[in-house]
Amino acid sequence: MDGKMEKLTKGGRLEETKFGRKTGVLLTAGISIVLLLLSLPFFDWVYLKNISALFGKMGISRETASTLYQSYSIFSLLGFVKNSNLGILGLYSMILLLLLMGTWFLHISYIWKALRNRFDNSDGKGMLRLYVTGKAAMLLTILLVAGSYGFVLYSNRFFGMKGFAASPLLAVELIGAMAAYAAIKKLEAVERIRCHEHGLVKEFRKNWVLFLMLLPVGVFFLVNSYLPMVGIYFAFVNFNFADGLWASPFVGLKNFEFLFQSQMGRLIRNTVLYNVVFIVLGNVLQIFFAVLVSQITVKWFKKVGQTLIFMPYFVSFVLLKVMVYSLLEYQCGAINNMIRSSGGTPIDFYNSPIYWPFLITLFNMWKSVGYGMVVYLATIMGMDGELYEAAKVDGANIFQRIRYITLPQLKPTFIILLIYSLGGIMRGNFELFYQTVGNNGLLYEVTDILDTYVYRITIGQPLSIGLGSAAGLFQSVFGFVVVLITNWAIRRKEADYALF
Amino acid sequence: MKNGQKANKIKLSGSDITFYVIAYFVVGAAAIICVLPFLLIVSGSFTDNKLILTEGYSLLPRSFSMDAYGTIFRNPASILQAYKMTIYYTAMGTAVGLFVTTLTAYVLSRKEFKYRNVVSFLLYFTTIFGGGMIPWYLLYANVLNLKGTTFVIWFPGITSTFLIILMRTFISGSVPDAIAESAKIDGAGQFTIFWRIVLPVLKPGLATVGLFLALGYWNDWYRSSLFSTNSSTYELQFYLSNMLNSTTALKDLVVGATISIADLPTQSVKMAMAVVVTGPVLLLYPFVQKYFVSGITIGAVKG
Repeated sequence: MDGKMEKLTKGGRLEETKFGRKTGVLLTAGISIVLLLLSLPFFDWVYLKNISALFGKMGISRETASTLYQSYSIFSLLGFVKNSNLGILGLYSMILLLLLMGTWFLHISYIWKALRNRFDNSDGKGMLRLYVTGKAAMLLTILLVAGSYGFVLYSNRFFGMKGFAASPLLAVELIGAMAAYAAIKKLEAVERIRCHEHGLVKEFRKNWVLFLMLLPVGVFFLVNSYLPMVGIYFAFVNFNFADGLWASPFVGLKNFEFLFQSQMGRLIRNTVLYNVVFIVLGNVLQIFFAVLVSQITVKWFKKVGQTLIFMPYFVSFVLLKVMVYSLLEYQCGAINNMIRSSGGTPIDFYNSPIYWPFLITLFNMWKSVGYGMVVYLATIMGMDGELYEAAKVDGANIFQRIRYITLPQLKPTFIILLIYSLGGIMRGNFELFYQTVGNNGLLYEVTDILDTYVYRITIGQPLSIGLGSAAGLFQSVFGFVVVLITNWAIRRKEADYALF
Repeated sequence: MKNGQKANKIKLSGSDITFYVIAYFVVGAAAIICVLPFLLIVSGSFTDNKLILTEGYSLLPRSFSMDAYGTIFRNPASILQAYKMTIYYTAMGTAVGLFVTTLTAYVLSRKEFKYRNVVSFLLYFTTIFGGGMIPWYLLYANVLNLKGTTFVIWFPGITSTFLIILMRTFISGSVPDAIAESAKIDGAGQFTIFWRIVLPVLKPGLATVGLFLALGYWNDWYRSSLFSTNSSTYELQFYLSNMLNSTTALKDLVVGATISIADLPTQSVKMAMAVVVTGPVLLLYPFVQKYFVSGITIGAVKG
């Protein structure tokens, strides 16, 4: 293999390059297949040695030990952590498992792409992308192997004895991955010269100012978004502050089980139902008002109308809370005031869950219709006026013009907004619910959503952090999957509307 | 309504007239519904507290009284502190945020930056997947140990994917590639191009993004509720929210004053406080509305 590569880098003739490229890619794809097979659960990568001494040292009871006796692979690491209560190994095992999944994904996509590749001489860019996938797969494999060795060393040192051993297969993986990495890199170098592209290092030297300009935002998103992702692990432990994240006992999916047995059904039902109503009713109202406002011809009326409908968007949810309070309060709220003066019996809103789904929907519409209306209004303003004129000349009345000209043209905007809101179907409007309902436990049955539940745990129940994280993780993963599915479906039907 | 019909007099058919009548009526009604709650609060703040307790809130004040405002400003230390802090958070966060957002947007708008799609993806990814609130909170509070500082109140809000993409759209709309390209040929560095060529023509974009940031800071109460350990760092909205939750928070207002807690006009004070807190936003709203409209428009079109 290496001989061919040598020839390839020196060789200048096109045919030769093409031939070398194909062999190189197929060879590395072959290595990739081997690496993938080796990392499937047919082989154990990490196993236990000198078991009785080790278990003695760990303080593991005879019954537990019997379930741990089999040698185990990377796949059973988490099970081992769970059974042995060794939280200290938990996060490490979790990272290994995630790395493993990453390598599987990359290997499979590299093999897939390589086998489907036509090796068409003109498509250098496509080849470069293929190489990037391959390099990433190999790099991740190397990391995985290094991580496994690190795990063995770490746990051995932690127990002060050689209780864990690494299988020789790890060395095979390492050598294979490194060789394939080097080969792909060489292929890539040739390809780069051919299509006048250059790699990260050269790019950085050329445009280092631009990279530097990205530093602040990099720090921000690292701290604010990417580092918290490590905390996903909270969802899998029975967290306590004394042991910290690393050493809290790993409990697998216990948190999720508990959640689903207790309140998850209610939380999901509330979150999803409210969102569905908000999305459907919200979009209908937004389109409705946008169409009406766009048709109004008196300038000042249009301007004032739009300004006032848009106004609630600008105030905080705390102000909404004040309004809700002054409207609904039992003693002196404006609504009960009206009921009393017309001789009815006042309603104790804060003790009657039955009204709240309607009330919250109403508040949300009040606050958000203006924003969406502006979005749709902008689309309407951008439409071609000639169509209307032509339709008018042809005798279409205004209802027909709206139905057959305006609404169809709003469709792309509608679909984009819909995808965005579908992605957030598990994410409730926290501020709306928290500020209007607050900590009124009487109303939780119909107003508690995932976000308010997680917030209450963060603020006041440090012992349930595992549960709260599990709820948050569920929310995140579910939303993510929904986005991927909607986007996939839309790309199949109308590719122009897809987000990515 | 009359004017509208006159303007289109010649072309109006029967169904058109029906439509316009409905349109004017519905839009007018919606506008009124949007304003009514504001009226309720303002009128409540000027009503005598006893009257609220006996007869309830109403849209028009039945008696005029400045008691509530008097109570707030008799002992204004705590609300002034919250005002001061909120202005500080808003100024600091908006300034830093504007800088970071614009720099990033500039880089993403440069065609010669090969990795702009990768960076865009990394930004976009944070909007569809996250670690959840608890890890986020514990990172700031326990790992970075920032609880109780002012930094942690403004830092998490300095930018967002939406604002960066919005700013990038503004930049590619106002600075043609050719200009930046020719400046580069003349020997200008990236930072010079950014500072001398892009920034001066970016005023509408800066105003829009800056106002989005500022509004976000002014209306935030959430970060105070998580990270503030004592009332000297409270955000204004959080201060108001607390005041509504408990009369104990109201007691702050009578410390050292001559009235007792029983005489405190609790209902009207809440309303007056709301007016004081929201006032600046509503006063500025008519003048800055157009920037938000343009921001939302551009943001929506580009996704």
